[in-house]
Amino acid sequence: MSPVTSEPFVINIGPQHPSTHGVFRIKATVDGERIVDAESVMGYLHRSIEKLAEERTYTQNIPFTDRTDYLSSMANNLGYCLAVEQLAGIGVPARAQAIRVIMSELQRLASHCMAVGAFANDTGAWQTPMMWAFRDREKIMDIFEMCSGARLTCNYMRIGGVAFDPPAGTFEEAVREVIRIFPPLIDDRADVLVENEIFVARTRGIGVLTAEMAINSSLTGPMLRGSGVAWDIRKADPYCGYEQYDFEIPIGYQGDCFDRFIVRLEEMRQSVKIIEQALDGLPGGPYKTEVPLSLRPPAGEAYARVEGARGELGYYVISDEGPAPYRFHIRPPSFINLTALKEMTVGGTVADAIVVLGSVDIIVGEVDR
Amino acid sequence: MATRHISGEQMAAWAESLVPGSVARTDTFACYLKQDQLRETMAALRVSPESDLVYLVNLCGVDYWDHLEVVYHLHSLVKNHIGTFKVEVPDREKPSVQSVTSVWYGAWMQECEAYDMFGIQFEGHPNLKRILLWEGFPGWPLRKDFLSMPGGLQPGLNEFAGVSRRPEPPVRVVE
Repeated sequence: MSPVTSEPFVINIGPQHPSTHGVFRIKATVDGERIVDAESVMGYLHRSIEKLAEERTYTQNIPFTDRTDYLSSMANNLGYCLAVEQLAGIGVPARAQAIRVIMSELQRLASHCMAVGAFANDTGAWQTPMMWAFRDREKIMDIFEMCSGARLTCNYMRIGGVAFDPPAGTFEEAVREVIRIFPPLIDDRADVLVENEIFVARTRGIGVLTAEMAINSSLTGPMLRGSGVAWDIRKADPYCGYEQYDFEIPIGYQGDCFDRFIVRLEEMRQSVKIIEQALDGLPGGPYKTEVPLSLRPPAGEAYARVEGARGELGYYVISDEGPAPYRFHIRPPSFINLTALKEMTVGGTVADAIVVLGSVDIIVGEVDR
Repeated sequence: MATRHISGEQMAAWAESLVPGSVARTDTFACYLKQDQLRETMAALRVSPESDLVYLVNLCGVDYWDHLEVVYHLHSLVKNHIGTFKVEVPDREKPSVQSVTSVWYGAWMQECEAYDMFGIQFEGHPNLKRILLWEGFPGWPLRKDFLSMPGGLQPGLNEFAGVSRRPEPPVRVVE
């Protein structure tokens, strides 16, 4: 009898696959059950936003940033506006700063809701946590609709402030409602998932990244913090007055999928804390500075970053005194977080690769731009 | 505590002390490194306790018509400072820069993207290929002279006449 032999073959996970969170493909080479090589194939959603932005004025580019990471459009707006403000030397009123903080933290809550829900979906908790995520996010979407007129692609931040003053009274009421209902909802999720045997078995020790590897791979956000590196742009390089709010950076200690999940849950709690402080201290006054529509910043360059829901979201803008940016580059966190995909998936099974991809929390609109 | 932006002179002093003759020039924003010792300089800047640039934040290409540039934003997590390094690539026909993927693994995909968009060859990259576009895509789309749109139209700001950086098109065909 001849011994049992196996030879590697290629499995395509995606691009049309519910667990790839969009049109994204992992080309996995498997030998038996185990993945021996993984390659990420992307670009199915490429819309050449960087090229388009070179042809439009600084203000016209804000809606493009919505369409990169469509689950956290406020953070994208903010990163771009910060870069242009830095480039043109535009100051922002205190009220606008506080509104920006409230909006980006609400956006983080909404985005992490989806991240946690979709991740639970990937690990086998079929649909229920996902539906909870949609239900809870709706409260935040309502606030965005109230302020900007749109739910997902808000286009709310402006160079020098925000587009509209939030409606007096109803805005505060709605945000207080979110602050009131969210902590128990987060606890609900934690109760169902954190000690769930199946969930822990699917995520503990899967996709482990050491802190050194995470730093070397330029990972950011919950990926980096899950590996035990307490690095948060809101603390390290505060923008919009984040230094005045009291919050903590949650970190994991094993660097596996479970830790990334826990970090996201804890970040949601911290976000509620920040929103409460920002709303209590919401100053009056103007909500934006007047900026000419056809803005022509002095020649130069600026790199501004914010802590988006997925990590460091940077905008690199070069001006040549023209009405449009000479170069407009986005540093997309989920694109760069995919660098370590191979390290996390090799050695595991195909089912683990799905969990790992869920823990990276990619948004393909941002990966491909 | 906000991140400290390192001046071009300071970065040039570090690079020069680690690898003599590695700096081409400096300006207010950045330190321009020479191409031939790029990887060596970057590796030294990464491990030197003074600069401690362990974290590659961002890598991208820029086209300046007469030359291409690769921009590196490097960060120290412990000292909390950020610096901008640049490399000029004068040859537009066959642009080539040393890859820094062996120094920072995080450069892998970003170098692929710069190759995809600008056609910059990164020597020593383990698997340099087009990442967002498909193999065989004609041209390098983020270069300033990439102008082919359907029907021969030029993209541009028509309402801001006289400010376009592009040369006038010979014939404007409208379908």
